[in-house]
Amino acid sequence: MNKTADVTVVGGGVIGCSIAYYLAKKGADVIVVEKNKGPSFGASGTNQGACPLQLFEPPVLELARQSLKLYKNLSEEIGYDIEYDNVGALVCSVDEKQYSDMKKHVEKKKKQGINVRLIEREELLKLEPTLGENVVVGVEEWESCGVNPFKVNYGFACAARRLGARFLFSTEVGKIEKDKDKVTSVATDKGKIITNFLVNAAGAWSPQIGKMLGLVIPVKPRRGQIIVTEPTPLNKRWRCISDADYLLTTAFDLKATEVSKDKRIKLGVAGVYLQESTGNWTIGSSRDFADYNTNVTMQTIRYIAKRAIKFIPKLKDVSCIRTFAGLRPFCYVDGLPILSKVDNPQNFVIATGHAGEGITLAPITGKLISELIVENKTSLPIDAFSFSRFKNAYLQNLG
Amino acid sequence: MERKLQERKVNNIVCRCEEVTEQEIRDAIRKFNLTTVDEVKRLTRAGMGLCQGRTCGSLMEKILSEEINKKVSELLPLKKRPPVRPIKIKLLAKKERESE
Ligand SMILES: Cc1cc2nc3c(=O)[nH]c(=O)nc-3n(C[C@H](O)[C@H](O)[C@H](O)COP(=O)(O)OP(=O)(O)OC[C@H]3O[C@@H](n4cnc5c(N)ncnc54)[C@H](O)[C@@H]3O)c2cc1C
Ligand code: FES
Repeated sequence: MNKTADVTVVGGGVIGCSIAYYLAKKGADVIVVEKNKGPSFGASGTNQGACPLQLFEPPVLELARQSLKLYKNLSEEIGYDIEYDNVGALVCSVDEKQYSDMKKHVEKKKKQGINVRLIEREELLKLEPTLGENVVVGVEEWESCGVNPFKVNYGFACAARRLGARFLFSTEVGKIEKDKDKVTSVATDKGKIITNFLVNAAGAWSPQIGKMLGLVIPVKPRRGQIIVTEPTPLNKRWRCISDADYLLTTAFDLKATEVSKDKRIKLGVAGVYLQESTGNWTIGSSRDFADYNTNVTMQTIRYIAKRAIKFIPKLKDVSCIRTFAGLRPFCYVDGLPILSKVDNPQNFVIATGHAGEGITLAPITGKLISELIVENKTSLPIDAFSFSRFKNAYLQNLG
Repeated sequence: MERKLQERKVNNIVCRCEEVTEQEIRDAIRKFNLTTVDEVKRLTRAGMGLCQGRTCGSLMEKILSEEINKKVSELLPLKKRPPVRPIKIKLLAKKERESE
């Protein structure tokens, strides 16, 4: 028998489940369709759950800021502990040549209203004895947090379900039916859903959903690999330490990674070293394009491990207990998220392209998309994330 | 007496590495309608310890199969996350292969 819904969301990752929650809160009748047996089998289940505010630049910065505000009370709001962890964020350099860039970074962040502080080598080593002799300079800030991404994903899903949202797991969207300029229904391997709105929150797979409507969504999977260690005693001050390379090259500057002669930079290896409250470290990460391959590769893991030891030497004698890889939904035109309606079909909404920042941005994304659908306006401007921005990019490509 | 036994049973530690009890596992399965051991692992930490589920994995499967009325053989097997045995980070950093 056909099902009906106000809104059908494709994808049960952190983005789809957040959207479902905020929509259900506004009273919408929501169905989430997820091809895997549960949520968190995509990128949302293979990441570090770090939300380091100082790594964000406008226009995404404002989203991150608002999202962090929502995270503060989220456990209470949804009645489930997402393990919000007030870890702050330290960005750290092991390269003398980066000193002036780090100084610029501090000035820029101050102007953006982030309460950052530059810390010289001696003080760094005093405050955090686990840091290595190699460190040159660091920038700390305490508005950032860590969360348990599984718990965010399941927490949103559960809270949405309590508000009446339905979840269809092991169900794959295969076709979308249209009448003139509107989506009418979604065909899955388990039957049809007649729907007023369709949201594409299929992460790295979102282009496939776009294709069903003849739309090119310029997103591709960007693989990241992670090492997990056994627990060690908790660091004294900083448990979320990022490699300045993350800021200065690998994460944002695609060109710099492509032209670099350094194999490590080419593989996008620049760490976020996160010590969970249990004492375990997740050591990330890398950025490469390998289609939908989620294998870890020895070469990349080696670079990640080598780099980690530079920052935190004592890690060398700590055991790796597992490794994993995941696929970030990466917009290859400008690296920005796509949070947008489209001209045709007019009841189709895209919410993806969160790249390596989707956990941080999940709450605000859910809130804004729910506003876009129910009220047709949003409490924060989202023009910078509109789908129409690609028109020019395509013409350029064609030309 | 009957009751006591039951209580003791559910407070059994299933995962020694992460100290997760049988009750915690059953609660998570019921709360979230879990159907895979991977999900039990993510939400309870059982199987995330030093031995990576080699000790507790089969027990987790048994509990899940009981809860959802399926045979263990019907469950999605736990995803393998290398390495097979814990390995020091310095060895990972060193492992050089010329062909790469
Ligand atoms: C290694 C790594 C580290 C990261 N670290 C961080 C971090 O520290 N902080 C941070 O903020 N972000 C981080 N991220 C990014 C973050 O994980 C992602 O941005 C986020 O999880 C994206 O969520 P999503 O819901 O869009 O995608 P996904 O979680 O991939 O969800 C998409 C879902 O859609 C489903 N789907 C696809 N096609 C269909 C279909 N046809 N029918 C039904 N269902 C379908 C898929 O099965 C999948 O479950 C990291 C990512 C990686 C890979
Ligand atoms: S006993 Fe569960 S991980 Fe070792």
